[in-house]
Amino acid sequence: MTVASSPQVREYSPLDLSTRRFWSQPFEVRDETFAALRAADGLSWHHPLPTMFPMEEPGFWALTRRADIAYVSQHPELFTSARGIALDPMPFEVQQIATFFLAMDPPQHTTYRRLISSAFTPRNVHRIEEQIQKNAVAVVDDLVGAGDVDFVAACSSRLPMLTITEMLGVAPSEREAVAKAAEKLFSMSDDEYSSLEERAQNTINEMMLLSNTGIELAKYRRSHPGDDLMTSIVNAEVDGHRLTDEEIGAFLILLSSAGNDTTKQTTSHAMLALANNPAQRDWLVQDVESRIGPAIEEFVRWSSPVLQFARFVTEDTEIAGQQIKAGDKLGLFYCSANRDETVYDEPHAFNLQRSPNPHLGFGGGGPHFCLGNQLAKAELRTLFRELLTRLQPIEFGEPDLLLSNFVHGIKRLPAHIR
Amino acid sequence: MRVEVDLDKCTGHGICESIADDVFEVQDDGTVLIHDNERPDADGERMQQAVTQCPAAALRLID
Repeated sequence: MTVASSPQVREYSPLDLSTRRFWSQPFEVRDETFAALRAADGLSWHHPLPTMFPMEEPGFWALTRRADIAYVSQHPELFTSARGIALDPMPFEVQQIATFFLAMDPPQHTTYRRLISSAFTPRNVHRIEEQIQKNAVAVVDDLVGAGDVDFVAACSSRLPMLTITEMLGVAPSEREAVAKAAEKLFSMSDDEYSSLEERAQNTINEMMLLSNTGIELAKYRRSHPGDDLMTSIVNAEVDGHRLTDEEIGAFLILLSSAGNDTTKQTTSHAMLALANNPAQRDWLVQDVESRIGPAIEEFVRWSSPVLQFARFVTEDTEIAGQQIKAGDKLGLFYCSANRDETVYDEPHAFNLQRSPNPHLGFGGGGPHFCLGNQLAKAELRTLFRELLTRLQPIEFGEPDLLLSNFVHGIKRLPAHIR
Repeated sequence: MRVEVDLDKCTGHGICESIADDVFEVQDDGTVLIHDNERPDADGERMQQAVTQCPAAALRLID
């Protein structure tokens, strides 16, 4: 179809993914639309998402099937990250500050990635597991007999924040502020965090706070080396150069958001799912030690904490039989891939025994696969071991959902803990 | 059978190491070191798992 490949006459899909109304619906309701797109031929073309920046884009192709998203993720030469990865139109310079090496392609990306991945290898994550364990015990200590609490504040948000800020060497007195700024940065679409008029300015403010924290930490570690991630970052050399202050600031924004919100959201969603599926919970509790590994994979599939990222097409090509042009934007909907009925039996069932479970909760593979996947899994394993063995089943109220097309978030989750 | 890594693709995710930490080790420079490339046939299933689960498609098996 030559018609579909010409931007001027490309027709927008009647299944609209680009309104605030669409994203204000619950995940399950949204997936009815994604299911229709998964079942259709080729790809669908959509209006650009709402943006707080004065930018005009013609729209994007929605990728909703697991296979298509994995293909695009694993071919960075055809589908670049270096023109930005935010699906909502956002100036590239702003994206660079907030996402650092997420908005790069190999070989530049590879250089930075290796520098940072040393802190996240299985061996090095194993080394800090004792610290994660200590923090998980402390979090659950405070929960025992707590009565009525907001589970997000009292539990979900605490372990990831402690873990990543300890890794970075953020002073205990500043940890809460760093975590809050990171949360705010990726929750701007929700009116609770920012009014429409303030949104662009607030985004810049939160980014500056995080970036400055990183720069201050870097300065301190240059003169006072320690045994933490920040010390390795300031000492690391890329192609004979040390990282600049700006790069370290950008890196702190990325780590404080990527290392915080994702694991936090997964904790809330998984706890709620366990409460809503008592048979699954009972099965897990019977043998937590040997069942927690596969269960965590289902927690991540179920939660899909990062809903989407974008890529740009570098040359005219084809996906799922659909002709696409150089310069076109693609939206990779991991949330949809994780409900793909051609991959998962009963994709809407929470099933801890799902095997295999090739979810895209950490991305579709390729160079940008989640760097923190081992750390996230270690945190979830440790925390849920404590939660499931030391607490009675928790009664939850209605979750207060975040309005966002990027993070699958729960802002508050009323809980009664005996 | 022999297991090999393409260091141009490897980004040090460490999935292989979480599957077989006696064979794969992500070093501090972020690339994987394979301790013994020649694997006995009995190790085939585990090596296959490491190859298919590598997010960067950097590992391969040669018979």
